[in-house]
Amino acid sequence: MADGIRVSFSDVAKRYDLRVVFRSVSGEAVPGKVLVITGPNGSGKSTLLSILCGLLRPTRGEITYHEDGHVVERDAWRRHLGVVAPAMAVYEELDAMENLCFFARVRGMGPAEDRCRECLELVGLDPDRRTPVRGYSTGMAQRLKIAQALLHDPALLFLDEPGSNLDPAGKDWLENYVGGLEEAGKTVVLATNDRREMEWGVRHVALAG
Amino acid sequence: MWRWLAEAMAVAAKDLRTEFRTRVAINSLGLFALTVLAAVSYTVGPYRIAAEDRPFLLAVLLWIVIFFAALAGLDRSFVKEEESHTAPLLRLAASPSAVWFGKLVFNLLVIYMLMAILVPLYCILMGYTIVMVWEFVLILALGGYALAVITTIVAAIIARALTRGALFSVLSLPLLLPLMIFLIQGTAGVAEGMPEVVSSTVRAVLSMGGIMTIVSAALFPVVWSD
Amino acid sequence: MEWIVPKLISEILKWVLLVWLAVVIVAAFLYVQPAKSFIGESSRIVFFHVPMAWVAVLAFLVSCVTSVMYLRRRNPKDDIRASVSAGLGLLFAVLATTTGAVFAKIMWGAYWNWDPRQTSITILLLIYAAYLALRGAIDDPERRASLAAVYAILAFVTVPFLVFVVPRIYWSLHPDTIINTRGANEFDSRYTQVLMASLVGFTGLYVWLYTIGCRIETIRQRRRQEVL
Repeated sequence: MADGIRVSFSDVAKRYDLRVVFRSVSGEAVPGKVLVITGPNGSGKSTLLSILCGLLRPTRGEITYHEDGHVVERDAWRRHLGVVAPAMAVYEELDAMENLCFFARVRGMGPAEDRCRECLELVGLDPDRRTPVRGYSTGMAQRLKIAQALLHDPALLFLDEPGSNLDPAGKDWLENYVGGLEEAGKTVVLATNDRREMEWGVRHVALAG
Repeated sequence: MWRWLAEAMAVAAKDLRTEFRTRVAINSLGLFALTVLAAVSYTVGPYRIAAEDRPFLLAVLLWIVIFFAALAGLDRSFVKEEESHTAPLLRLAASPSAVWFGKLVFNLLVIYMLMAILVPLYCILMGYTIVMVWEFVLILALGGYALAVITTIVAAIIARALTRGALFSVLSLPLLLPLMIFLIQGTAGVAEGMPEVVSSTVRAVLSMGGIMTIVSAALFPVVWSD
Repeated sequence: MEWIVPKLISEILKWVLLVWLAVVIVAAFLYVQPAKSFIGESSRIVFFHVPMAWVAVLAFLVSCVTSVMYLRRRNPKDDIRASVSAGLGLLFAVLATTTGAVFAKIMWGAYWNWDPRQTSITILLLIYAAYLALRGAIDDPERRASLAAVYAILAFVTVPFLVFVVPRIYWSLHPDTIINTRGANEFDSRYTQVLMASLVGFTGLYVWLYTIGCRIETIRQRRRQEVL
């Protein structure tokens, strides 16, 4: 089994023309641990997450992915990670099964119907797998996003307020699941303001805002 | 290589599926094309243009309708991803070249579907007689491809801008004008039966399509990833 | 003291440019006789129209090269160079089009007939306008720079088709003498002297405006953004 993925970032800063989001953020996410990123609203938690998973370029700073002792190229990052975020949506016109099969195909897994159903069952969406996502409640849509992130069994997970829109049973399930991920040696980066979610991790990065 | 192709086809299939369920692009393109066709047919019709001008002028009108219909709807596949916020997950799941090729295939199919309906209708309503039919089909196919390649990369560019509006047309037109000129000449050539014009058009459109394919495939990752 | 020498040289060059262009303008009207195949004095416009068109194309070339450089090195200076050159290119393209239209009216009675050269300069104008419109539509400087660079390269790739292929197919009203060596016989040596001098002068003018523009834009960017 692989060692897992370690993400280290140093002196990361992001500016949008005139607005500075944050100036210098450093930290490290290691396998088997949850790195929690906290900060007031607008402090740039989601921005930092986007930078760490490779969707945005930082204005300054270095982000390195280490796997089994060697460095992972930026182009290859996306194969090792799954993301759940409020600003990232799944396809409304498709149903859950079609969404997951699409993501599986596009990741080079083929249609992988068995795997898709497995993920849907995991998040409790299997009965609704043929309903268009447009008709989902926010909680169901959130579960689908979680299923999408887990589809390819990534070593690295970025979770941006993953418990939002989930009912209490859902939040319990998620807490358990993240605990299981830690034990399995996965690397988890969690951005949150939720008091309970903040407890999931020992290591913290606090953004000033 | 086949995996990449399968990934690209997955993107194209997904776009086709969502498009058939919402029918936005098809409506924009289709309605535009049919409305303009009706207007042209009504005002100009099969009789108003003198016989010696017909091959050229009817070619002009045909390609104007096709190009502007394309500009009405082909930015959809990229703009929609950004507007519905589905683009980030797609960026994380798919390789950029698979996205580019998949969306290119989608745009190409839309153009061909448009042509399949519009061109015969146009020829019938306007009384456009084509002497070299197979060459005409070839010109339509090659021209449609070049149109798709150019509009795909431009759509990818404007999807990442703030105010999209007319930007798609503004950016596409300078790149499309030379293509349009070649296609009009070539179509006039097939209508009249002038092989030399046809062969030079085919060569020009083929090389334009080829070069734009290579350049846009190389530049797409820059546009798609931040 | 080293920085004084380059500054001195550029000061001198500026004055040389001024004198050069003044001489060219005077020569265009007094030193040369109008060419025989042109109507009246209209051949004099060539001394200005051709260099302007040349600069419009040169500016485009510079824009594209700096765009490629930007995509490779991601140096903001290259983006500044590309945008400044595009702005100048637009200016000279408009000037070339206007002088060309005036010339066309005198020679052939109509301001515009869409012959290949007129078509090409129009498309160049549209490209510049589109490029600047794209820049205006994006806020984030880095994204603006890379998307603009991509568009500049795309536009550049379509240009060979315009310049070389379109004229071959179309019959042209444009005097081939401008580029064709065949026409060298038509004009006396004075004509070519002034034309060449004007080309050099206008290129110098472009370089001067380009340098100033880049400096202004660099300062403007520096003032806008606080140091991170």
